[in-house]
Amino acid sequence: MTKNKFSLRRAVNNMNLVRFRFWFQIVAFVLVVYGGYIGLDLGDKLPTFACVFNGEGTGGKCYVGELQHDLKHPLEGFVGFAGYAFLISLGMFAVWFWALNKGWCGFVCPLGTMQDWLTMVREKTKIRYSEYSWANRGKIKSIKYILLILLLLLPVMIANSVFGLPKLPNGLSMPFCDICPGRMMIPAFTGHFNQFYIDFSSKTDLVMTTLGMIIVGLFLVGSFVKKRFFCYFCPMAALQYIFSKPALLKLYKDGSKCTKCGDCYRACDMDILEIADDVTSKNLVTEDCTLCLKCVAACPENGCLEANFMGATIFESTKEGFLVRMAMDQIKENHAH
Amino acid sequence: MHTEHTIETSAERQNRHKAMEAISVLNALREDFKSPIQSMGYFYDLFEKVYCHHHPLHEGKAKIGTMCIQIPSEIIYALDAVPIRLCNGFYTDDEIGGDLLPQKSCPLVKATVGWFASDNFSDKPDITFSPTTCDQKTKAGAIIESFGHTVIDVGFPRTKESEESRHYWRESVKSFAVKLSKFQGKKLTRSNLESAIKKVGYAQSLYHKLTEFRKNKAVPILGVDMFLVTNAFFFDKIDEWISAVEKLVSELEQRASDSINVAGKASPRIVYTGSPPIFPNYKIPLIIEQSDAIIVADETCSSNRMFNDMVAVDEWNLYDMIDSVSDKYLKACTCPIFTQNDDRIRRIIQLVRSYSGDGVIYQAFAGCQVYEMEQRSVLAAMEREGIPILYIESDYSPSQHGQLTTRVEAFIESLKNRKRMKK
Repeated sequence: MTKNKFSLRRAVNNMNLVRFRFWFQIVAFVLVVYGGYIGLDLGDKLPTFACVFNGEGTGGKCYVGELQHDLKHPLEGFVGFAGYAFLISLGMFAVWFWALNKGWCGFVCPLGTMQDWLTMVREKTKIRYSEYSWANRGKIKSIKYILLILLLLLPVMIANSVFGLPKLPNGLSMPFCDICPGRMMIPAFTGHFNQFYIDFSSKTDLVMTTLGMIIVGLFLVGSFVKKRFFCYFCPMAALQYIFSKPALLKLYKDGSKCTKCGDCYRACDMDILEIADDVTSKNLVTEDCTLCLKCVAACPENGCLEANFMGATIFESTKEGFLVRMAMDQIKENHAH
Repeated sequence: MHTEHTIETSAERQNRHKAMEAISVLNALREDFKSPIQSMGYFYDLFEKVYCHHHPLHEGKAKIGTMCIQIPSEIIYALDAVPIRLCNGFYTDDEIGGDLLPQKSCPLVKATVGWFASDNFSDKPDITFSPTTCDQKTKAGAIIESFGHTVIDVGFPRTKESEESRHYWRESVKSFAVKLSKFQGKKLTRSNLESAIKKVGYAQSLYHKLTEFRKNKAVPILGVDMFLVTNAFFFDKIDEWISAVEKLVSELEQRASDSINVAGKASPRIVYTGSPPIFPNYKIPLIIEQSDAIIVADETCSSNRMFNDMVAVDEWNLYDMIDSVSDKYLKACTCPIFTQNDDRIRRIIQLVRSYSGDGVIYQAFAGCQVYEMEQRSVLAAMEREGIPILYIESDYSPSQHGQLTTRVEAFIESLKNRKRMKK
């Protein structure tokens, strides 16, 4: 029995993570983008981009959309029952999120998956990926928080006069959805290209939909040259990170086993330096982490990095797993001199 | 009766002296210890062939001299050449080099320079790449060039944390690859680099398998034998090295299941760090293991550091392979030439913990300034961790044998006492 258990663990630690993730993402993509056709409805508090504009195809709805909608009410309304309702939906979002932590980004998010597909195309064409300089990498970190604050504030300012300022036009009711590439890209997968438009009906709509078109263009080009280009700016990631500490799925590091070889950093699509250089923290789910676990798969030290679910190790770095994944565990005869 | 008298040339004398140095170490390895390992025979014979009989191994192949571990052997193999690491452990060559370098230079550098000065190789490098690691190696490149050898400097940064260092070193490796590819008249391709990376990675995985056995309570292989195996990688044909080590691994598997111990039951387990033991300068390791201790792990560039870290590629295209090869030689390196040495200290502690070491022996070559300078911080860290450590300065000369033995024996006795007290 123990032997059996041991070999299952070994098989998991030796797994081909790239392949596992590829298929996991496809299944998740199908459920999120086409799940509605088979009657799947996971509600409207999902911590991932399940797009409301995808009509009946969507298997659930993104909480960021719901959140903007909820906030577009007079502030007095939040004092009573509506306030509780708001907190309950925020709580439901958190509960969904805690199950997978940032794993929603690395394994479920359809926008993330699309970007990974574009990366695969680039890899096939043998074009080198781009990177930010470390200085710029540090600077852009704050953008996702600015977007988050705007998407929270703008709907409030439509329904309320904040600091005596005039109320904002109604065209800004879903400000982030207007510029989110998911609004255009996700319905396209169910054959609906009707979100690719510029709305000339009002100045606000014109500006916002034009911005949206520009951003979807940037999304396609950007994520072709830069792995997970959009994720660096994602306000959903910012919102999630606020709730990340109590989540059940974790990425742990044992710094005493780390040689700082940097293999994990090289594998990281989000160029997170701490994964290699931080040898004191245990929890390495940082703000931009997508919990894709590529770092665990790239780490050659036994038990240095691990994916942990509620205190149980589910996948950890091992020397053997590293060698198997790099195809260094045996010599290929056809290459021998 | 007529006897012919011939006068020995200086090259012949050098070879004779080197053969004497080599054979005395090889004989000690073969005969002085209990439970010898059969498959070590390959390595004893290899060193005897090359250093006692001056037998060339790579006729007809381009031989690429490397002055430090940082020159990527993956790229050399991919371009169908053979890397020959020129770090030298012979006292004979050290004495020749001593005339050409300042008196207080590192014996390893002196020996390498002496080797080139005498121009007496069994496998002479066609071209030599010299990474700008420590001061002495860096300057030695130009001296060797003045003897008429082709030496190409490969710029190496002396900090490893910064972004600039990473980029600088990646560029250095790229330009090294371009120069070597021109020299060889062969293109570096995705497929030849990929198979070289995987082959070197496989060789490294075999080293990792060997080291696993040293974690056992009954250690089936001596530290000096391990040094010989890793030293052979400096110059051996890689395929033959691989099959010899495969045999060694399976013999050790057998020995481990039979609980064969090359040391005694109470022998203290030593982690060895500092200036690299390079054949035949096994002076300190031999003293340690002849004084009833066993080296279970090391942190040196002639052994562990050369094999520990493997290339990790994310996208198997040329651009990413070259970058990952570069990173391997910079990021995980614990060489004391770097400004910071926290990684080296953490590595030593980790080795002591995972190999159940009883103490650390830190050897610095007299004249190896960077190892001498790091001594204080390493000693302080070991004291903090409660790990006994002995610091020894030595060189290649056979003269201080008695004094060194006394110090090592005393340290080992104290470790034994400590072990007894713990019980």
